[in-house]
Amino acid sequence: MKILSKDGNELLLLAMKEDSASKGDYMLVEDRRRSMIVQIYDEEYLSSQSLVEDIVKEEVVNASSVESLHDPLNIGILSKLIRDARVFRAKLRASVNGEGRLSSEVAWLPSRVESKVKRLSMAEIDSFLGRTGVFPIPIGKAGDDEDFEIYAEDLDGKLSIITGKKESGKSHLSKVLVKTLVQHGAFVIVFDLNNEYSGLGWNKDRTPSAIHNRIHLLDPGKSLRFKLDYCGKAAISGMLKNALDMPAASLREFFRIWDWLENKQSLGIDAIGNAVNTWNINELVRDALVSRYHVIQSSRLFADDSPGFRFENVISKSGAAGAAIIVSMGNVPPTVRRMVVELVLSKVVDLLERQAIPPIFLFAEEAHLYIRETYWEDIITRMRHFGIYTTFITNQPDAISDGIYRQVDNIFLFNFTNDSDLDKISKVSLVDNDTIRSIVRTLPQRQCLAIGKAVCDLPMVVKVAAADVLTMGETKKFFSKKTS
Amino acid sequence: MRTQLGQPFSSQSLGDFGVIESVSGCLSPKLDALRGKRIIFSRDDKKLVPHDGWGLKSSHFCGIVTTFTPIHDNTMVAAVDSSCIKMAETEEGSLYAVKCGIATAIDGRALMHFRIGPVLFYLTESSASDSELDDRLAKAVLLDDDMAKRLVRVRSERAVQKELASHLVGSTILVDGSLRGSVFEDSQRSVRKISEDCILRRNTMIGVSKATRFRPLERASGPLLKVPGPAYIDVDVIVKSLIRNSAGSSSMVRLDRSGPVLRADIMGGSNDESLGRLVGNDPISRGYPETLRLAHHISTFTGTEVTCLRSHVLNNYDVTELVADDIRRTLLGSISV
Repeated sequence: MKILSKDGNELLLLAMKEDSASKGDYMLVEDRRRSMIVQIYDEEYLSSQSLVEDIVKEEVVNASSVESLHDPLNIGILSKLIRDARVFRAKLRASVNGEGRLSSEVAWLPSRVESKVKRLSMAEIDSFLGRTGVFPIPIGKAGDDEDFEIYAEDLDGKLSIITGKKESGKSHLSKVLVKTLVQHGAFVIVFDLNNEYSGLGWNKDRTPSAIHNRIHLLDPGKSLRFKLDYCGKAAISGMLKNALDMPAASLREFFRIWDWLENKQSLGIDAIGNAVNTWNINELVRDALVSRYHVIQSSRLFADDSPGFRFENVISKSGAAGAAIIVSMGNVPPTVRRMVVELVLSKVVDLLERQAIPPIFLFAEEAHLYIRETYWEDIITRMRHFGIYTTFITNQPDAISDGIYRQVDNIFLFNFTNDSDLDKISKVSLVDNDTIRSIVRTLPQRQCLAIGKAVCDLPMVVKVAAADVLTMGETKKFFSKKTS
Repeated sequence: MRTQLGQPFSSQSLGDFGVIESVSGCLSPKLDALRGKRIIFSRDDKKLVPHDGWGLKSSHFCGIVTTFTPIHDNTMVAAVDSSCIKMAETEEGSLYAVKCGIATAIDGRALMHFRIGPVLFYLTESSASDSELDDRLAKAVLLDDDMAKRLVRVRSERAVQKELASHLVGSTILVDGSLRGSVFEDSQRSVRKISEDCILRRNTMIGVSKATRFRPLERASGPLLKVPGPAYIDVDVIVKSLIRNSAGSSSMVRLDRSGPVLRADIMGGSNDESLGRLVGNDPISRGYPETLRLAHHISTFTGTEVTCLRSHVLNNYDVTELVADDIRRTLLGSISV
């Protein structure tokens, strides 16, 4: 490969047929003692008006009669080489000084004649970046089919987003991350919208997976039921206010009842129901309380007669082994879904504040469907400090506000073809518009562009490896393909 | 002179030098004679012809217009064309590249085409002296690029024509341009030798010229524009009176009603039969044989080929490329408008 031109932070590289490189590959441009690291983001033919005319003319001539060629100098072969010549568009990412250190100083111009362009292997890139860690998460292949891993430390204390269009491989990557984090002893809570994470406990061949015993499936109303006193006044208040839209006046009366029952040491869901019916209050307030009480009761999220679910119990039982607490919300109505999320997040924050549990990794699928707008900021600012490290998984990048994108540490971008989605992502992501538009638009299924801290701010195209876990949550179909 | 030297130059007019009168009088302008004439403006030194001819009035030659009909007898038509470019120059000589194209047709359909080349020729004093050329001509070829290119083209085309004439039987060989002997031909592949082969193997050779340098021929072809089909006028007498070494019989011909008038030199057959076979077996498009058009297109050099040839020369002949300047451009510059 040879340098054709440099314009701003963009380098054009001339490649012949045998020079292989793909979008996303990193190249090292070596010019004497200095080098430049560039990333290929687009590929096109070397094209000039005369070349196009030649090709068209030849096709027209060959279409009109059969050709026989006598080319003693083999000029035709050279001509074909020129026609197949390609131009790689590359972005300057960093330069390497004489001591082999990376710097952002890329203002110098490499020699077109003497520069040597070579492809960088993942090992070389990692060595330049000093990208190492203790808890690797192998997520697939990158570069020239080389193993690629990020480190659990890169997700620890960080906000990450996995986004891409439907069936591009988002959930697949998130399952790989959840599984490996648990294997490394981390505690993960998953808001599972399609009941697909339950397969993490099983291998594809239906044998128990490595984290089989560390998966805790919580089915709201069944295996996920709380005692009212465990949730506490703050969590219930948040649930009534945010999930059930209870007005302030009704909320005040509700807490009078709560305090009265608590003093009597008879706090329970049935006791609240009786009190609401007999309490001396305005009838409109009573109506509001009764309607909310019925929703709460029908959700079956609270139990007087059972010990109820306790996060700290699960975590302490797991010890250093880690655990995945999967809240299956696929069969739950939207209101109950919001109630569950309010209760879980409030309780986890409460436990983290009291340092009763270690930091938690939270994986939220299509969180915009069940987390209220004002909560987002809370998640990425306050909760982060308490120890909730969130990964959002969504196919609607515009459902996440710009404020969140500005706080984001890692983005795993899967394929998007829609211009408005690409616009949104390219405006807010940590990489230039050209790279996003060109690479993301052509990413095949299960390949993503990793951006951010996990890749030391050098965007990388990763082929996500097939997860060896049971696929769940597939769409039920009326017409099924014949397998025989 | 004293007066002139005594005054500053800027205060003098051209009239003081008598330059204007001198230029005006160097030839008789005769602009009065232009009045009322029909006119075609020239463009880029290209030969232009009036779309509907100059008209009968301007012709002093009264040739007979003969119409002819297409003969569909599965005669093969093979058209030959070539092009030559100057590739490079050294202290001793110049390097030329030539391409030849042969396009064939039968029964009104294109059959096959052959691309030959590019082939390189390095013309130096020794190669010119080996080429059977007269000494003075050999020296002229080394000095004049156009003559050198003509030499390479004539030799290559004649080589192809000779092979076609001696291998085909009962076919029509089409050549771009007139049929006339050239000073650049080699004795074994001259038009005369080719015509002998044509006669022996019952081939017809037709040289088709898109434009003629002879104004009388242009004027003589006027009546052809009024004929609603293929027709020709025999102009052999005019041609023979103007050129000595022409071969075959010359006609001005129109191959279809919408096409231009072309000059055709026919060798090895009667005009009616030869032209009828041509029109019957070669697809005629816009009044021109498709095989000749194809031969032209496949024999011209493309920009990519020139680039590849340069690369071939640099890689295979251990040459050193020198930095070169366009003297004319350097000295005169250019004013972009």
